[in-house]
This record gives sequence, C-alpha cells and structure tokens, in this order.
Amino acid sequence: MSNEIVKQFTNKLEDYQPIVGKSTIDELKLLASRLARKNVQNVNSTYVGGGVAEILSRMVPLLNQLGVNAKWDVIKGDDRFFDITKKIHNALHGRKETFSSDDFDYFREVNRKNQDILWPAADYYLIHDPQPVLLIERKNDLGGKWVWRCHIDISQPDKKLWGSLDDFVERYDAAIFSAPNFTQNLSITQFMVSPSIDPLSDKNKELPTSTIEAVLDQYGINPQKPLVVQISRFDYLKDPVGVIQAFEMVRKGIDCQLVLAGGTATDDPESDKVLDEVRNRADGNKDIKILLLPPGSDIEINALQRAATVVFQKSIREGFGLTISEALWKAKPVVATAVGGIPLQIHDKLTGLLCHSVDGAAYALKQLLSNREYAEMLGKNGKEHVRQNFLITRHLKEYLLVFTALYNTSDIVYL
Amino acid sequence: MIDWFNANWVLIVAPLSVFVAFCIIGLWARSFVYNRLTKLLSKSGWSGREILVRTTRGPFFFWIILLGAYIAFMISDLSNPTKDLAVKIIASIFIISLIWLLMILSDRLLALYSEEIKTPRPVGKHVANGIRVTLIVIGILILIDFWGWPITPILLLLSALILVALVAFRDAILNVFSGFEITATRLVKEGDFVKLGSGVEGYVIDIGWMNVKIRTTDQNIVVMPNSKLVKETVMNYGYPLKKAGAPFQFFTRLHLKELTGLKAQNLTELIDILKTAPDAVIYYHTYHFLEEHQYLTPEPANDFALWVGDALDDDVLSEKLANIDTFAYSSISALREALLLALEQHLEGHPGLRDKRANRELYFIKSISFVLPTPYVASDLREFVEVIRKISTGSLYYHVFESRLRLQKRSNDFSVWIRDQFGEDDLADRIDALFPYTYTLEALRSAIIEQVEKRIK
Repeated sequence: MSNEIVKQFTNKLEDYQPIVGKSTIDELKLLASRLARKNVQNVNSTYVGGGVAEILSRMVPLLNQLGVNAKWDVIKGDDRFFDITKKIHNALHGRKETFSSDDFDYFREVNRKNQDILWPAADYYLIHDPQPVLLIERKNDLGGKWVWRCHIDISQPDKKLWGSLDDFVERYDAAIFSAPNFTQNLSITQFMVSPSIDPLSDKNKELPTSTIEAVLDQYGINPQKPLVVQISRFDYLKDPVGVIQAFEMVRKGIDCQLVLAGGTATDDPESDKVLDEVRNRADGNKDIKILLLPPGSDIEINALQRAATVVFQKSIREGFGLTISEALWKAKPVVATAVGGIPLQIHDKLTGLLCHSVDGAAYALKQLLSNREYAEMLGKNGKEHVRQNFLITRHLKEYLLVFTALYNTSDIVYL
Repeated sequence: MIDWFNANWVLIVAPLSVFVAFCIIGLWARSFVYNRLTKLLSKSGWSGREILVRTTRGPFFFWIILLGAYIAFMISDLSNPTKDLAVKIIASIFIISLIWLLMILSDRLLALYSEEIKTPRPVGKHVANGIRVTLIVIGILILIDFWGWPITPILLLLSALILVALVAFRDAILNVFSGFEITATRLVKEGDFVKLGSGVEGYVIDIGWMNVKIRTTDQNIVVMPNSKLVKETVMNYGYPLKKAGAPFQFFTRLHLKELTGLKAQNLTELIDILKTAPDAVIYYHTYHFLEEHQYLTPEPANDFALWVGDALDDDVLSEKLANIDTFAYSSISALREALLLALEQHLEGHPGLRDKRANRELYFIKSISFVLPTPYVASDLREFVEVIRKISTGSLYYHVFESRLRLQKRSNDFSVWIRDQFGEDDLADRIDALFPYTYTLEALRSAIIEQVEKRIK
C-alpha cells in the first residue's frame, strides 16, 4: 500500500529547484550523501487522510531520491483500537475523555501485535504521533535510533493519560515537535521541526486564470468584488461565526464578499451543528457564501485562496495551522489569531496581521481592504517567509539533520 | 651493331644529353628556388615552413628528372606506342610521388598542429589515417582514369562508402571542424575563464579536436563537444587573475532547532536563564532572525527585544535590547554580558517589573550548527565572485556572520582571505564595511559581488 501511495508522487527533487534555488537542492544532496544507504522506517496509523499521511507521501519518495532508503508502514487495528487512539489524541490535546480500565491495555496489545511491521534493518525508526508510540518496546531487540515525531500540541494533556505514556516516550532517543509551545517536559532531546507545505501539490501549485475563474463561476462568486476567504472545517474552534461578525462590521463601509469553505469532520458530531449554525447566521446575506467542500477539493481550495483579497484564519485553538502557510504561499495578506503554530507563520505586521478578538479581526480586515499596497507588502513578505521556512525542502533538510544529530551531540557539528 | 650505332648515335645521345642536362638544371633550380622560398617563408613567420621545405626539396628534384625523362622520350626515335607507354609510366610515377609527398606533408603538418593544440593521440592518429586514405583513393582514381580503365562503378561504390562514413561519424566530423574553428578564431584558449549560455562556467583546461574541457568552480570537469561549444554564447573573461597561495574553500552551515525546555514568564526568569543558558541558545535568539527573515530589511530585532515589547509591553526595555548590536560582539559571552547589563540597568530603575508576568512565555531554543564543506573552491577573485553568485544563503551567512564569532575578530572570512592572499586591503575593508543589518542576505550577496567586480574589471 505505501508503495502505491509513494508511486503516485511523481515529482522529482529537481522540480523544486525553480522554487527554492539550486543551492538549496545542492545542500540537500550534500547532506544526504552523509546518510547514503541508511535505512529509515516511518510508522504511523494511516496511509490516507490527514496532514501526516500527506507529508509522508512526499517525504518518503524524496528521501529515496536523495539516496536514503526510506520506507513507510502503518499499524493495523480494529475500530476499538482507533476509538481509543482518537480519545488519546483528544486527551493529549487537553480535552476531557473517559477511558475504561482496560482501554490502555488494549492499546498496548494492538501495538504489540503490530511489532512485526518493524524493519529489523532500519537505522532510524521515525514513529509518528501517539497511535504507534508503544512500538518503542522493541527498541532493545532491534537497536537503531528511535525518534517520536509528535505532530500534535501536547502542552496541556490529560495528566493521567500522559502519566501512562511518558515512560514510553522517554525511551525514545529523541522527540520532534512542531512548535516550542507544543512540548512536554521530557528528559530526552527534543527537536523542533515545523510541518511544511508542498508547493507542487494540487493545493498549492500555480493555477491558470481560467481554472480560478471556473471555480468562482461554479460557486457563484463575483470575481470583481474583493473576496475574503476562510478555509477550514466547520468547527467551533475555527470560529466561523466570529469571522461572519468581523466581516459584517467591515461590510458596512467596504463593498466585499465572504466565503467560508471547508468540510465537516466525520468523527465530530458537532460538525453538522456548526455548519447549520453558520448557515443560519449567514442566511439572507447575499455577500456571504458557505461552501461545504467534499474531501479531495484541493484544486477548489487552491483557486479560492488565489482568488482571495484577504485570507482569514480566526481560530480559537489551532494545531500548527498550515492553511496559513498555504495562503501566504499564494502571496495573500492573512488575518489570523495568535494561537498554536500561527505566530511562527505570521509575524504581526511583517508577514500578516494577528488579532485577538472579533473587533481586532474587523480592524485588520479593514486595513487590508483599504490599503492594497500594505496588503501586497504583507503578502509578498509572507510568501518569502514560507519559501524559507515552511516548504517541504526545509522539512526534508531538518529530518536529515535530526538523523545526523542523533550521532553527534555537540552544538557545532563539523561534517 | 656498330654500324647501327654509327648511323643512329645522335638519336641515342640527344635524349640522354637532355636527360643529363635536366639533372644538372634540376640541381641548380632546386638550390635557387629553395633559397628564395626559405627567405620568403621566413618573413611570413609560419611555423610549418621548415616542414614544407624539408619535405618538398627531394621530390622537387625528382620531378625535374621526370620532366627530363619525358622530354628525352619525346625527342627519341622510339615508336609512338612505345612513347605513349613511356609517358603513361612517367605520369604514373609523378602521380604516385605527388600523392606520397602530400601524405608525408600532411602527416608532418598535422603532427605540428596537434602539438600546438594538444590533440589527444588517438584523435590525431585517426585524422592522419583519414587523410592518408583519402589521398590514396584520389591517387588510385586518377591513375585508373589515366590508364583508361572504367571508373564509374568505383566512384559509385566510394560515394556510398563516404555517405555511410559521413552519417556514422557525423558528430565526430562536426567536432573536428568545430575544433578548427575554435582554434582559428581563438574563441577560447587554455587558461581562459569562460561562462557559457548553458550555465557552464570555469577555466578552460584543455582544447582538443573533439572537445574542450572546462574545470568548474565546484571542481568538476565539464567535457564540452566542440560542435556544441561553437553554438554557445560564450562570455570569455580572458586569462586568470593572480592565484591565491591557499584557495578559498566555501563551507555551508545548516542548523537544527533543539528545544531546551527552558521558558521565561517574567524578567527574573529571563535573566536567570540568560546567565546559564548554553552559548548556542543565546546565539539562536540573537541571530536566527537574520536567516529566517532574510527577505526583510531592516531585520527585525532580536527575540529578547521582541518578547519584552510584545509580551511584557515594556517598549523602553525592548528598544534598549533591540539597540544592542549583536554583530558588534566577537563572542557570545560578550553579547550575553551586554544583554544582562541592559536588563539589570533597566530593572534598577523599575524594580516592580522584575516579576511582571508576560502574556506569553518565551521558549528557549538551541541552535545546533552543522558545518559542511561545499564543492566550491576559489583560487582567484574571478572564481571567487562566480562562486559567491552560486552559494546558498546558509554559506554566505556562515562566512559573513558566524565567522566573527568563530574567528573572534571583527572581520568576515572573505575579507580575511582577500587581505591575506592578495594584499587587497581596500577591497577587504570595503566588504567588511558592508553593514549586514541594512541588507537582506541576497542584497548582501549582490553588494559583495559588486565590490569584487569593480576591482577585477
């Protein structure tokens, strides 16, 4: 299965050269030459859906192109296992969850059953997120270096759950987090590697004007009127109602339109409720469009972002918030709240505008809609910020550096 | 017999006399013609003159003797068929000797030119064999035609063979002719620094019949077929500049962020951590913005200044910290002391701020540096400037910013090398004077290139 996913990725490393420059590609090759023929196994819980699978589907083939033997496997489990891991995920995020007395035992049992997927020849095991975290129990038998790649914010976890997991996490050689404020107090080395976007993916690649126009036409969006867009699933944490409120404040003085586009989460029963609430709130306002996009609407999302005058991300709580980088990559001015990983992507007044309230969001939107030069400058800076810090080539480089750092403990490593 | 001789001696002696006379004239004419020819060619300065004189001197005399033999036969009393036969034999000998002479001459001239343009031995040998075969074929065809034998089938066969050879060796033939063009027009010469339209650039290290070899700044040898080179846009910078005793090896520096787990919520915690944190932590928070925000100019302030202003809302202290020129310190410990001094001085006047809680925590990150040698090496200022165009911003950063901390002196690697290797103090000072905060890394690259180009133009 992983082979099929990986084969779908046909980009060559050199395809990124016009975007990041030859020297960046050369440096990747130079660094990878020190890790040539090393075996790296990635393990997570799914081949499709979600940011981790999306990144691995690109990262693994690119590592192989660089001469590192990378492979990707997933653990198998039944519905009960994935219900438990969903609860673990939520509890690590700080949400209150109820675990039965044998939930953790079952979680451990399924992890043990999956131990045979581990590649004995691997030099590095990169275990992604909490679902396969207990595979570490094979560390002593298999050797190699073990890294727990935690993609979620575990800074405020359910203490009881974390108390059960941290002993296992401490057995890893290192952990990787996406942002400094996502971490826990651990005795092992913790690296910071932010996630990334792929500039050549459907969601981010350049689009012909005709495609953008076709998408606008498809959803009945006026291409002549300034467009404010928020792309996110319908979830209270994304504050879609707050976005409508801010928009309405601005709309009184500036002619513009708002599009809230996204999907609903199948595992979140609140999703449909939020969507209904948002639709009711927007009902009767011809300048607001609520678009429920089916999974795989990458081109539509890309087109909406490219057509936008301003992009919003008014989350109340956020993970890393890579949609910010997606919008910045399209040189769009972004208004976002300073939560999760957003401040790493938006430096207030340099690469976008940060806000802390509906009023703040409305004020920032007004500034951007009425001062196009300022908006353009922020968008331009934002694009360069993403080019240097949030593209997959940087992500690839940092993984290679983590592998190198595991065998070199000094602060300056001469290779 | 004697009677016959008495009656016909004139018919024998006359042709013999003519022949002997031509031998004598030949000796004189050779001496006269070649003395003149040698003087004439000496003035031309042509390097092949000696070969021409040495090679043709013998055949010249031989051909005069052949002419004597021809006239002797013509005035003899032999029958016409015998005379015809003799003329054909003499003409054939002339043709054979002419072909032989041309073969020797082309061999020697080829050897001379091969020496001049350093042709690889197998190529020179193939070209010499080709010329020999061509001359022999031409000679045979002339002889066949001369003796009246049918030539058309042979010509057809030869044409077919030549066509096949042309198709099979098309590239090689094109390269050889392009090689002549390169040599004749002096498009490039050994030692020239060239930039081709295709992006290849470096010093020409060898020019051959088939290709030109270029050593690039990343120490690769590019073998460019002559036929391709003549179609390229060639920017030729001419001969190399003064070579450095020690070439400049370009390094690059990549960095990885390590989370230390340390965080500050107020100024007391900030000061405590600043006192004990590893150098690599102080380094990260005072330098990383240069690399991560290299598109911005002027650069944003260091993390401590930003945090104090943003999270503690203390603009005065923020400005004090921002005004600390991190670039002016040649060691992290000196920079650390400067930061602590600014904090302590400010708190002396505002003791109440010491424990004021920030609206967000400052997380301390350690920068782990990985230093790698790149393939780029510069041995003179031309190579140096061309490499500067190509290196990553990480490499530029390493040699301009990190060097000060590494070398513990207020200079950068480039200026030190230029000063030490070439004694170019002015240029070194001008590069040193480029104040990095006022440039993005790309603009800094352009400014360095501009300074060096001004000097070497």
